[in-house]
Amino acid sequence: MIPNFAVIGIQTPHWHTPRLWLPLFLLWIPVILLSPLIFLVLVGFAITTRTTIWRLIAMAWGLLGGLPGTHVHVRADGNQVLVRIL
Amino acid sequence: MNENRRQILEMLAAGKITADEAERLIAALEPGPATSVGQQTGSAASSSATGATPKTRAKYLRVLVDADESMTGMKGPTSVNVRVPMQLLRAGVRLASLIPAQAHDQLDDALKGHGVPLTLSQIKPENLEELIDHLEDLTVDVNGSEGNTTKVRVFCE
Repeated sequence: MIPNFAVIGIQTPHWHTPRLWLPLFLLWIPVILLSPLIFLVLVGFAITTRTTIWRLIAMAWGLLGGLPGTHVHVRADGNQVLVRIL
Repeated sequence: MNENRRQILEMLAAGKITADEAERLIAALEPGPATSVGQQTGSAASSSATGATPKTRAKYLRVLVDADESMTGMKGPTSVNVRVPMQLLRAGVRLASLIPAQAHDQLDDALKGHGVPLTLSQIKPENLEELIDHLEDLTVDVNGSEGNTTKVRVFCE
C-alpha cells in the first residue's frame, strides 16, 4: 500500500509546531500531470543503469509501498523531531 | 492427496529428486504465509524438519537508543526511536542491483578501506533477500556500565 499521510512534528525548547498531517495522496495530482516527464527521466535512468524501465518502475513502487509504517522519533538537547508515514 | 503432492512423490520414487528436495517442495505446497524462494529453502525447510510451527514474519526493524546527559554532553536525555518496515529494507537492498558495474571496484575499495572486505559483484539479489530474512532473528542489546546509562536496542518485531 502506498503512503497516504505523513505526520511531522518539530519541537524546540522555545517553540513547537502542532503535528502536521500532510496528505501525501494529493501528490498523485502533480505526479499524473508530470508523468510524461517522469517517464523520460526513468527511460534515461534505465539506459544509464542498463536495466529495463519496468524493473525501475517495480523498484520505485516497492519503495513507495514499503514506506507506510515508518516511524522516526529523535529527541536531543531539548529538541524533538517526529516523522511518521501512514 | 492432491495432484502436486502425487507428482512430487512420483519424482522422488523415480529418483529424479532427493528426499530433502521432496520435503522442501511439499513444505512449499502447504498453505501458510507467503514466502520467498530463499525462505522456502531455508526457514520453511528447517521448521518442517524440526516440527516447529512457523513463526510469524517480523514486519519492522526497530532501533532504540537512550542516552543521558553525561554521555552525550547535551542538555536533557537523548533518545532515538526508529521503526523501519522490513518491506522498505527489501526494496532498498534491491536498489543495489542498479549500481553500475564500473562503480563496483570503487565501492569495493571504499568498503575495504572502512574494514568491510566485501565484493559487491559477488552479491546476488537472492543473497540480499536471505540477509533480510535472517535479519528477523537479530537482536542487539547494549547496556552501558560504570555509570554510563546508555542503552541501545536493535530488534525486529
